[in-house]
Amino acid sequence: MTQSAKPISSPVPDAWYPSLAVPMLAVGLVITASFFIYEATSSRKNRSLAKELVTGAAASFFLGFGSLFLLLASGVYV
Amino acid sequence: MHIFFRRLGSILREKPRLNMEVFVARSRLTLIFSLFALLFLSSSSLSSSTSELQILTAERRIDLASHIIRVVLTLKVQNDEASPASNVLLAFPPAQAKHLALIQAAEVAGKKRKKSLHPLDVKQSNHADGPNGAKLYSISLRNPLSTGGSVSIEVSYVLTQSLEPFPVEISQSESQLVLYRDSALILSPYEIKQQTTVIRTPSTKIESFTRVEPSTQLRTELKYGPYEDQPSFSYSPILVHFENNNPFAVVEELVREIEISHWGNLQVTEHYTLVHNGARHKGGFSRVEYQSRPTISGVASFKHLLVKLPPRVHSVYYRDNIGNISTSHLRTGYSKSELEIEPRYPLLGGWKATFIIGYGLPLEDVLFESDDGKRYLNFSFGCPIAETLVNKIINKVVLPEGSKNPSIVVPFSVERREETSYSYLDIVGRPVVVLEKENVVPEHNVLFQVYYDFHPMSMLAEPLMLTSVFFFLFVAALAYIHMDISIRK
Repeated sequence: MTQSAKPISSPVPDAWYPSLAVPMLAVGLVITASFFIYEATSSRKNRSLAKELVTGAAASFFLGFGSLFLLLASGVYV
Repeated sequence: MHIFFRRLGSILREKPRLNMEVFVARSRLTLIFSLFALLFLSSSSLSSSTSELQILTAERRIDLASHIIRVVLTLKVQNDEASPASNVLLAFPPAQAKHLALIQAAEVAGKKRKKSLHPLDVKQSNHADGPNGAKLYSISLRNPLSTGGSVSIEVSYVLTQSLEPFPVEISQSESQLVLYRDSALILSPYEIKQQTTVIRTPSTKIESFTRVEPSTQLRTELKYGPYEDQPSFSYSPILVHFENNNPFAVVEELVREIEISHWGNLQVTEHYTLVHNGARHKGGFSRVEYQSRPTISGVASFKHLLVKLPPRVHSVYYRDNIGNISTSHLRTGYSKSELEIEPRYPLLGGWKATFIIGYGLPLEDVLFESDDGKRYLNFSFGCPIAETLVNKIINKVVLPEGSKNPSIVVPFSVERREETSYSYLDIVGRPVVVLEKENVVPEHNVLFQVYYDFHPMSMLAEPLMLTSVFFFLFVAALAYIHMDISIRK
């Protein structure tokens, strides 16, 4: 078989998993905090749905990826 | 001609299965039968040529050192007929054919130091069985053998479960004696001009062996031969009763799950059911005697097993239903890793042990990309425990979610089926390719490949699933905040 065997590895190097998980989760939690602070401090008239959704989306993005890297770093290779 | 074949067929069918001992007395009848069978074979209208070949010299070396018997047969075949021959047939008695785990053949070119081996295809022949149910295997030659030409072929085959313990039950302090049944004359569909058989036993203690002149014993080697001018399908049953204390380790079933994760890890989990397949243990087991006199007590038992793992293995565990088994040693190296395990108790005849061995491997060692864009897994098929026979092996290759079109490349025949398994963060499930094989010996530890298609974007499905769960939580919080459920306006 004259096939060239190109080894496949993860798109993100293994060694980076812990150092990606912690900052991403931290950022996600900070944005979650900012979301809820906005909810608590704004009154019904001043609330902007667009801003809420954007904050929610950003927070869920960072929390989602952060939890994935947390799972990978702890050995649960999903 | 028609009627002749029908009569011959009815004779062959009526004749009952002969016992080997009775066979000896009826050798003359067998000779007539073999001539009939030769006639039948040579005048059959099958596509492969069955011309009369003659074996000039045949040498058979049988190695009985372990419970897995390895035989090397060296034949020098000459073509005496007018037409060229493209196949060489091999015959095996039905009992041996049933326990044949692996058969390989190679053409020998050159002599002594310049000897080179060219592998040849061996498969079960579609000819009718020989006399007394002898099974035929056909070797396809590289170039058809011309008239008068000769070729040297080396056949190596592996027999399993062919050593019978006798006595069937032994006590703790007895040595294990086994019986090996074979023939002094090599069973072949062709005439053999000169043949020798050499049997090597693991120790010099040979209780008895059938004498078929000229036969000699020299320390651990029994030599039968040379015998001259034997007709085809000649058989002379012999019995060798000797001592074999090598571990008769047999894995009744090995279920191995190989899980591929594209995030960088290959996880292998192996479930073993191990049994000592030698002479059954009778009487009690005295631990004091076993530990104080290791040279006398429990000589036929085994305590340690060596598991050969690939290099760069990590997270190795060895446990059973009770919990972790700590009696193990792992030695990692550059070319291989060795895990030496010791079950919770030594295994005597008939005793079983079940355990689980698991380990992880880095993905770049086993997963590759082929030229046409398909990904493939390169892994070894057989059981990693050294010198162990596996009655049934079930390899389950779990491909990541989103893989399509799995196909396999295995150098020998396996049974294949597909399943779906559900694991972490799965929606539709992961496709599983299940490969099953029976009668697996260490020679089956070769690499096999599983090809599949996978789009790299499918890897995003997992983090996006987690992101959408968190987003749903935020949307739910928003909906609750924006909802006005107060009764008073």
